[in-house]
Amino acid sequence: MTGNLTIGFLHSLIRKDEKLLLTELDRRRGARVEMIDDRQLIAELNTGLTSGADVVLERCISHYRALHALRLYEAGGTLCVNRPEVAEVCGSKFETSLRLKQHGLAQPRVRIAFTEKSALEAIEEMGYPVVLKPAVGSWGRLIAKISNREAAEAVLEHKTTLGTYHHSVFYIQEYIEKKGRDIRSFVVGDKCVAAVYRSSEHWITNTARGAVASNCPVTPELEEVSLKAAAAVGGGVLAVDLFESPGGLLVNEVNYTMEFKNSVEPTGVNIPAEIVDYVIAVAGGRS
Amino acid sequence: MSLDVACVICDAPISLPADTVEDELLECPECGSELVVASLTPPLLEEAPQTEEDWGE
Repeated sequence: MTGNLTIGFLHSLIRKDEKLLLTELDRRRGARVEMIDDRQLIAELNTGLTSGADVVLERCISHYRALHALRLYEAGGTLCVNRPEVAEVCGSKFETSLRLKQHGLAQPRVRIAFTEKSALEAIEEMGYPVVLKPAVGSWGRLIAKISNREAAEAVLEHKTTLGTYHHSVFYIQEYIEKKGRDIRSFVVGDKCVAAVYRSSEHWITNTARGAVASNCPVTPELEEVSLKAAAAVGGGVLAVDLFESPGGLLVNEVNYTMEFKNSVEPTGVNIPAEIVDYVIAVAGGRS
Repeated sequence: MSLDVACVICDAPISLPADTVEDELLECPECGSELVVASLTPPLLEEAPQTEEDWGE
């Protein structure tokens, strides 16, 4: 039962994930979809963005557009999934790591440095290998596994010389030997609805980079860690990336515009239906 | 009912399924180029934009 709700579907390009969500929304009687193209938005600061929608479901491909549009919709009085605070935290690996620490979640060791010299010093102290990541970024782009000092010097120099100012904050993460796979779990509201192993011969295990997804049973430990990680960043519809380690699960990242297209078939879970149920519940004031 | 268009890169014929929506990404079955549905009326494809730094989750 959806009543007569309008779901604002905030988007730019329509990927397979968005198509699956739109197909699911189309099945819901009483749920009307208002397509909102972020490339056409013009906002008046005094009023924010206004919409006839009961809730805006954010599915932008650009993080910065998503973040600003969500802020403006919230300022205009519209409920958003996810909330802009969640987008802000998840959009920054640094902010995410801080939140995870504040909530007592285990994660790989992380150091932050602001210059080539101090970053090199931090890397040498951590010991090789380490992973250098852009503070903002995804799909495994521009992340580097640094195995020795020569590589560290070269990558740091390249980042400093060629990168935008975002790359001048060096996010240095302990390298975790993950034996060819990591885990992505899917949290929707207060449920961990599914999880996949992402396996690859490459050390980067993003499916966007060719990793293969297979079903991962949602154990009590995985459920607990996933729900805590989601809560740490503010909750909502979130994908949690985790490493298996001898000491237990380590949270690597939390994603707020989660991509799930490769995970529906291996898990047998209709993830877009779970998301749509949640969005409708938010719109109806039930979540 | 499907819509017939041509790849803007290799000119291969592409049949858009009836549930195609504007701004949808698709891949040319012939040349593998990533394309975007710029319009449905009339049916029009464009080359998909290059990935930008803040794209993705």
